Amino acid sequence: MPPTTDGTALPFLAINMADFRKLVAVSLLAGLLGGLLLSLLQHYQTLPLILAAEQFETPSTEEHVHDWQPMDGWQRNGFTLLFNGLTGFGFALLISASMYWRDQRGYLYGLGWGLAGFLVFFVAPSLGLPPELPGTDSAELHSRQAWWLFTTAATAMGLFGLFLTKQRWLQIGGASLLALPHLIGAPHPEIAHALAPEALQQHFVVLTSINNAIFWLTLGAISGQLLRKVTF
Amino acid sequence: MKTIAASTAISTSKFLPGFSAIVLGLTVILGLGFLQDANNYLHNAAHDGRHSAAFPCH
Repeated sequence: MPPTTDGTALPFLAINMADFRKLVAVSLLAGLLGGLLLSLLQHYQTLPLILAAEQFETPSTEEHVHDWQPMDGWQRNGFTLLFNGLTGFGFALLISASMYWRDQRGYLYGLGWGLAGFLVFFVAPSLGLPPELPGTDSAELHSRQAWWLFTTAATAMGLFGLFLTKQRWLQIGGASLLALPHLIGAPHPEIAHALAPEALQQHFVVLTSINNAIFWLTLGAISGQLLRKVTF
Repeated sequence: MKTIAASTAISTSKFLPGFSAIVLGLTVILGLGFLQDANNYLHNAAHDGRHSAAFPCH
């Protein structure tokens, strides 16, 4: 399909809006389906652990006790469903754009990109900053967010260098980028302290890892399969 | 040099749609995962999702 802004002097800047709209449509559907699946998994597996951990938070340790919070039940679950659907949309956009650039279609390629997303956005950050239950002490928020951003960016570039380039020096550079965030190390509080029992926290890490792996692989497979339905 | 073209080159007409999709995706992800508002409305609404997706929370 020709770019919709034909006749521009700079063909590089003539965006093909039809292709962009197809990527958005594919990602929206994949993200909503993946987000729905993740919400169901969380509702039956991790939400009970979050609620249990909150029982250990007394009003004095709860930071935002006076602020509005969604009511437990449909309201709280509804916001989580919305969050999961929208993050699913965002993640699916990254997957479908990557496959679009590389002319890939189908669920098998999608599974590969889903695995990459799981490594970039879950495994690598979790190695330094494991998923935490409410009431767990951790280092100052901005330093953890900065490390999270650095780690996802370095891991994405590292995987690209290692697996999608043919030059030895780019592959070595990629492997170094994968290791770098973990050599620097994630910010941690000087004295770690958690309100919930250690067993609950470990259970939470295992379940979130399984749920996010299922979510990412499903999201990738659906995105890849939906890309078969559109022609660019 | 042929392998570079085969592995990393993106045709110019395909660059912007994909790039726009990635910018939109990153905006959605980082907005949902990181934004803090003064009244914590956004934080509290996204709370369980952030904890379960291993975004730094609190």
